[in-house]
Amino acid sequence: MDLRKMMDLPGALAAFTYADKGDLESHVLREGTELTPQVLDLLARSCVANLAIAGMEARGWEALTGQGGFQPVKGFSMVGLEWSVVVNGNCGVVVRNHDADYEATFNALQA
Amino acid sequence: MHILKQLMAIPGVIAAGEYAYRGDRFSYQGALTDEFARMASILCRANTLAVNMQSEILESFADGCGCRPTQGWIVRGEKLTICAVGNYFSFIENHDELLNDVMTIMRAKVGDVESDLLVNLYARLGGNTKEALY
Repeated sequence: MDLRKMMDLPGALAAFTYADKGDLESHVLREGTELTPQVLDLLARSCVANLAIAGMEARGWEALTGQGGFQPVKGFSMVGLEWSVVVNGNCGVVVRNHDADYEATFNALQA
Repeated sequence: MHILKQLMAIPGVIAAGEYAYRGDRFSYQGALTDEFARMASILCRANTLAVNMQSEILESFADGCGCRPTQGWIVRGEKLTICAVGNYFSFIENHDELLNDVMTIMRAKVGDVESDLLVNLYARLGGNTKEALY
């Protein structure tokens, strides 16, 4: 995943990749942002957990309701006060809420 | 206009609901049964509490980093997406720009985009997002 390309997404403050267990592997930070590699590492870990939970819930929801369309899960986003983190696979992007294009960000992470 | 009605007016929104933080009451509109809406409310409440807990941990490592209070979360499925902001949720189809429209409305109603006049006015008036904003 080209992190520099990810930084071109609207409102991007940081882009990062992480291992399957959430260890931060590489990252790019926008100059002036208050985010740190330590925050990105924690974010990556929480997002790995949330993606796993979302996968479990999608499977359970489809089995219980018969409604399809959730699996496989294609991404997760946590919307904070000022920024959102969007993750899929082993890559994530932090975008400023005011400028965020969630659609484009999810699509970029699936590419 | 009530946020649920406003969300349901957008083509591609399958269902929208509101749940009590206590977890025992909910209301909804759209293609859900009472039981499915109850389950969706519990699911959304559990996930919202989880991301709030995570953001508290994040904040303890980086005071004022901009994640708290958490506004909500999104799960993107293959054909459907669940959005949750505050104590509202919506099930939507994965159409072009629909996710952005839904998040704009949900955040305008519950979130922090009051500074954007157009969005704020639209949120107060209600109606179809595409007609109003694009």
